[in-house]
Amino acid sequence: MARVGWRMMFHDKLKMAGTVLGVVFAVVLSNQQLGVFGGLVYKNVMFAENAGADLWVIPGSAETLAPGQPLSDAVLMQARVTPGVAVADPLLYSGASIQLPGGGTEAVTLIGTRAPAFLGGPWNFVVGDRSALASPDTVLFETSDRDKLGGLNPGSIRELNGHRVVVGGFTWGLVPFGPSFAFADYDLAQRLLRFDRDRMSYVLVKVQDGANVADVQAALQARVPETKVVTAVELRWMIVKYLLTRTQIGVSFGTSTVFGLLIGLIIVALSMFSSVIDNLREFGTLKAIGATTTDLAKLLFVQSVTYAVLGSLVGSFLVTRISGGIRSAQLQMFVPPQMTLITWALMIGMCVAASTLALMRIRKVEPGMVFR
Amino acid sequence: MSASVSASVSASVSVSTSTPTPRTPRVVPAVGAVNAIDVRGITKDYGDGGVVYRALKGVDLVVHQGEFLMLVGPSGSGKTTLLSIIGCVLRPTSGELRLFGETVSGLPESQLPEIRLGNIGFIFQGHNLIASMSARENVALVNRMRGAPTKDALEEAQYLLDKVGLHGKGDKKPGMLSGGERQRVAIARALAGHPPIVLADEPTASLDATSGLVVTTLLKELSHELGTTVLVVTHDNRIFHLADRIVNIEDGLITDGTPEHP
Repeated sequence: MARVGWRMMFHDKLKMAGTVLGVVFAVVLSNQQLGVFGGLVYKNVMFAENAGADLWVIPGSAETLAPGQPLSDAVLMQARVTPGVAVADPLLYSGASIQLPGGGTEAVTLIGTRAPAFLGGPWNFVVGDRSALASPDTVLFETSDRDKLGGLNPGSIRELNGHRVVVGGFTWGLVPFGPSFAFADYDLAQRLLRFDRDRMSYVLVKVQDGANVADVQAALQARVPETKVVTAVELRWMIVKYLLTRTQIGVSFGTSTVFGLLIGLIIVALSMFSSVIDNLREFGTLKAIGATTTDLAKLLFVQSVTYAVLGSLVGSFLVTRISGGIRSAQLQMFVPPQMTLITWALMIGMCVAASTLALMRIRKVEPGMVFR
Repeated sequence: MSASVSASVSASVSVSTSTPTPRTPRVVPAVGAVNAIDVRGITKDYGDGGVVYRALKGVDLVVHQGEFLMLVGPSGSGKTTLLSIIGCVLRPTSGELRLFGETVSGLPESQLPEIRLGNIGFIFQGHNLIASMSARENVALVNRMRGAPTKDALEEAQYLLDKVGLHGKGDKKPGMLSGGERQRVAIARALAGHPPIVLADEPTASLDATSGLVVTTLLKELSHELGTTVLVVTHDNRIFHLADRIVNIEDGLITDGTPEHP
C-alpha cells in the first residue's frame, strides 16, 4: 500500500506541492518564532552563562538580573571566608547614560568587574581585550552600538554619567533585552555609578578545584540567609522562568507558534482530504478488490509521513537560511538541533493527525460504489 | 468459514507465479462440490422508513465451477445489485450466498475484504484502474495486496499482460492506453493470482463493437484456460453467443435461462 500511496501523491504534483507547502509554512513559522524567542532568551541568559562564576549571590527578592537592591560588603566577606571558595568578587550591574556628541544621551548597562578574575566579563572581543580595563577611565563598549552611541572608535572620549571616559575596545553581540553592555574596572564603575564603597549588585564566586559546588552553595547560603545563592544553571532557569511568567514574550511567541502549527495542520488536512475526494473512485476500487480500511489508513500514514519529511526538509533548510540572514548582534535565531528534531517529530504527528479527516472519509467509502 | 488457505480451484493451472499467503483465505471447495456460486432466495431492499424499494425479490441462481455465465436484463432489473451481492461488496437483506459451498452472506463485514481479495477478480464497467500506476503495477497490485513478493507479482502481471495482447505496454499508465487496452488491463488484473471467480460488470459498455467482442472473447479464453468461473453482467447482445449459459433477470427476479437450483 505504501507504493500506491506514493504513486497517488506524486501523480498529482500540484496538490502534493500544496500539501508540502503547508508543512513548510508550519516549520518555518514555528521555527522562526521559537528561534527568535530562543535568541531573546539567550540574550538574557548569556551574562549568567559567560560570567565564569560557579555561584551567584543575588538579593533575596531578585527574580532576574536587573539593577535593584544592592548587597552589602558583609556578604562579600562571608563569601570569601566560606570553605571551598577560591575567588569571590563583587560585580556592579546598573544602567548608565552616555552623552552623545550631537546632544542627547543613550543608555548602556554598565558592568563593573574586578581584575584579575574578571568574573562577569567582558568577553567576545572584536577590538582590544580585558587588559584595556587596567588603563585609567577606560570603558569597553558593544561594537554594534558604535553608531548609536555617537560614532565610537578606539580612543574616543565620551562622557558617561557625567564622567570623562576613554573607549578602550569593543565586544560583539553583548546586547541583552535592553541597553547593550559596557564594561569598566570595578573601581571606575563604582565612581561612575555612584555606588557606596560597601555596596555591590552581586557577588560572583568561583569554587576551588575539586570542591563540590553544591556543598559550597549550601555552606554559603547558610552564612547569608537574606540572599539567594544560586548556581549559574539555576540563575539561567530563574531568568527563563521570569521571561515566561512575568513578561508577555512567552505568550506572544507561543501564540504565534501555535497559530503557525494550526494553519499548517489545516492546510495539510484540507489538501489530503481533497486528494481523497479526487481519488474516491480509486479508493472504492481498492476496497472492492480487497483492501481494508486499515490498509488504506496505512496508505494515508505513508503519505502523511512523506509530506512531513519533505516539508520539514525544505522548511528546515529555509529556517537555516533565514537564521543566517537575520543574524546580528541585536537579534539572532537560536535553533538548536534538538529543536529541529522536535519539529520533525511534530510535523509527522501533525500530518498524521491531519490525515484523520481523510481517513474518516475513506471509512465511509463503500466498495459497492464501483458498480454504480 | 474457514480462514485457512487452500489450493484454489484453479491451482492446477500453471499460470500463477504468485505464492498464496495467509492474507488470501480462499473458500474451500467441498469434495465433489461444483457450484462455484450458489444464490438462494436473495432479496435486497433499498431505502428505509416508509419508502422501501425491493431491487431483488428472492433470487435463486447457481453458477458452476468454470462456467462462463451471462446475466442479462434491462436497466434497473437488479443485475448489478445481484453482482454486488455475489461480489461481497453489498449485503443482501435476506437469503443466502454460498461460494464453493461455504456460506459467506452471514460473515461479519470485517471478513469480507479478505473473501474478495482471495476469491474474486473484478472487472468494472469503467475499468477503474489506478491512474498513477503503470499497467503492470495495476495488474500486480492485487497479488501484492495478497502478500506476494513484488518480483513475483510483477512477473505474473507481465505474463498476463502478454496474454491479453499488451506486450510492451506494461510501463504505460492507464491514461496513455486506449479504452480497449485499459479494459484488457482490467481483465489481466481480474485474473491476477487466478481467483476462482471473476465478476464482470458491463465489460463492453465503454468499447466499440469490435473491441467489445475481442475483449470478451479474450476473457472467455483465459478463464477457460485457468478454470475460472466467470459471471458477466451485460446487456450487449453482440457478445451473448460467447456465453456458456445466459440467465435473464427482470424486475428483481430470474425470469429466463436456467437458475439450476436443486
